[in-house]
Amino acid sequence: MAMLPPLIYLIVYILTQFSIFLIVTLSLNLEVGHTGIPQFGRVIAVIAGAFAVGAVPGRILAYFLGLPFGEEYASTTSNFAIVTAINNLLANNILLAFVYFISSLFLAAVFGGFIGWLTSRPAIRLREAYLGISLLAFGDVFMWFGYNYQPLVGGSTAIAVPDPFAWFPGDRFLFASAVILIFAVLTFIATEMLTRSPFGRTLKMLRDNELTTEVSGKDIVVVRTRSLVIGSAMAAVAGALYVMYVGRCNASAFSRLTWTFWPWAYMMLGGTGSNIGIVLGVLVFIIIRTLITLYRYELSAFLPFDPLWLEYTLAGLAIILIVLFRPYGLIPEKPTPTLPRERIEQFLEESNKERD
Amino acid sequence: MLYTVFADIVPPVVSDGIVYASAMALLASGITLIYMCTKTFNFAHASMATWGLFVVYTGVSLYGGSPYNYLVLAFLFGSLLGIMNYLFVTGPLLRRNASEVTLMMSTLGYELVLLSAVQIYADFLTKVYKLYPRLITMSTYDFQVYGIKASMILSLIIALSILISLHLFLVKTKFGIAIRATVENPDLAKIIGIDAEKVYISSWILGGGLASLGGAVAALVVTGSPYMGWSLIVSMFAASILGGLYSVYGGILGGFVIGLAEYPGLYALSGIMGNWVLAYRPVVPLIIMVIALFIFPRGLAGIPWSTLLKTPPKETLRKAVETLTDKFRKNVKT
Repeated sequence: MAMLPPLIYLIVYILTQFSIFLIVTLSLNLEVGHTGIPQFGRVIAVIAGAFAVGAVPGRILAYFLGLPFGEEYASTTSNFAIVTAINNLLANNILLAFVYFISSLFLAAVFGGFIGWLTSRPAIRLREAYLGISLLAFGDVFMWFGYNYQPLVGGSTAIAVPDPFAWFPGDRFLFASAVILIFAVLTFIATEMLTRSPFGRTLKMLRDNELTTEVSGKDIVVVRTRSLVIGSAMAAVAGALYVMYVGRCNASAFSRLTWTFWPWAYMMLGGTGSNIGIVLGVLVFIIIRTLITLYRYELSAFLPFDPLWLEYTLAGLAIILIVLFRPYGLIPEKPTPTLPRERIEQFLEESNKERD
Repeated sequence: MLYTVFADIVPPVVSDGIVYASAMALLASGITLIYMCTKTFNFAHASMATWGLFVVYTGVSLYGGSPYNYLVLAFLFGSLLGIMNYLFVTGPLLRRNASEVTLMMSTLGYELVLLSAVQIYADFLTKVYKLYPRLITMSTYDFQVYGIKASMILSLIIALSILISLHLFLVKTKFGIAIRATVENPDLAKIIGIDAEKVYISSWILGGGLASLGGAVAALVVTGSPYMGWSLIVSMFAASILGGLYSVYGGILGGFVIGLAEYPGLYALSGIMGNWVLAYRPVVPLIIMVIALFIFPRGLAGIPWSTLLKTPPKETLRKAVETLTDKFRKNVKT
């Protein structure tokens, strides 16, 4: 394996973090920015995806290999040996690895969608603050359940996840990063298309005025449920990609700070409701956070504390300043035209001619 | 263990539970007060509570004495944090008629700033004074009165006296009545000449003070660290939602219910279901909250207690039950 200069690794690291959090933040933006649901439980869907991939596909593969797949699969003593055997199989069988990868993502999306449907039940009846807090609380319940129920994903210790990229002859992490980046770009395009569609405009109408939405014949409950199901499925895919990239599923890694509050900060910086703004917001924040982590030791020489805490200060100040001085973010949301621009101009010209 | 020196009259589960419940009552009443007056669901309560612990910790470890000597200082420091938040963050947003979610988000920003400040302060204490504030056990500074832990008696006294003085403040004083009027109808209150700005800022002064006081009391039974408030915040929210967010008394009641369920309640449950239940302690308040939201969407304070408790004639009782079932039905339908 050829050694690459460290700068490339840094860029790859930034791009991977960017891609995963872009998917999460886009899904958050779909629910918060476009639909107006106070989604303070983004971590729920991410956990659903991560736990699904951590617990289910590996067990199925272990079953077909004749390895233990019950409670022993998640125990610290045997998990590593089982997953190593599975990885050996996946490394020699590209087709199986591909099928494993795609079906895992599909499974995560289905699980996430189901969780989104579940969270849509209280979302229909509770008011703003009540709903936000309930979702926040549910995120913690999920995390605690995974952390304490050892047979699911290893409890307080991490569980290894079969590696779908093991067959790649070069650097596995470079390849995985490229795949995740492709997924992020695809998600961005899909979200952009979705929010420009009639469904996307319905979401915005629901956000701006519930009564108008009902008057124009849309079922509020159905629209909200769809938005939550789609958004949660996206976030679950991000969780699954993260788990497969890292190769481990650790319940305590899914804290509300990392997977709910950071995406909220990214979204607010970029511009709530604007997809292209989200891209910029996530990129700016990830670069700053990475630089702080990178120069941690250089900074700590002349600071009397760990510079890591500056990340928190920065995020907090950013949120406050944005809310106060730029409530629409770096790139504010633009109205989506119902028709392509050329068609609108054509209509305008025609109507002007008629008037003349 | 310190307990073995004296024969404990009250089992530690119960006494710790009472301290924790009193702390939760203080914290939840603070959240409720702030929400009632300014419609802001305060995320910053977490680190305000942690700062309360750190004020007491600094006092005890640098200047000595009992932790109870520094509780007033903790209250004042919390009030200062509350005032700062109102002046720089929530106040300008309220004048702009920001939405509830925006207000919530802005306090999350303030929370992150306070959290980083507490972390930096903890690092500073380690570097300069060689203290280790990442694992604080305040209970070692506690003392005993006739075999009963002082923390249990004092926290109960603190919580109840705060409850009574808050009640007297809201009912008997002119300013308290002005606060209630503003909560009831802000526009009408402004018309009769009540300064809403004063009401808002005083809610943050009281709420912030209660947060830090509650944090300092909670630290007597919970392991203290810069993340203490961060891990307690979900219980605080559950308690205030259980209370209904529209009455300080509801908040206090919710705090006691949640606190007692988390310690003695769960201990009793583990006797029935086995010890594995104890690992799920943080889940308990959330389950209670969910059940409460399903049955009483407006919290404990939303139940028509006065009509239920007056041993009413059959007619009134029937009416009360009808309204309750009506509410429940509506809730299920929509």
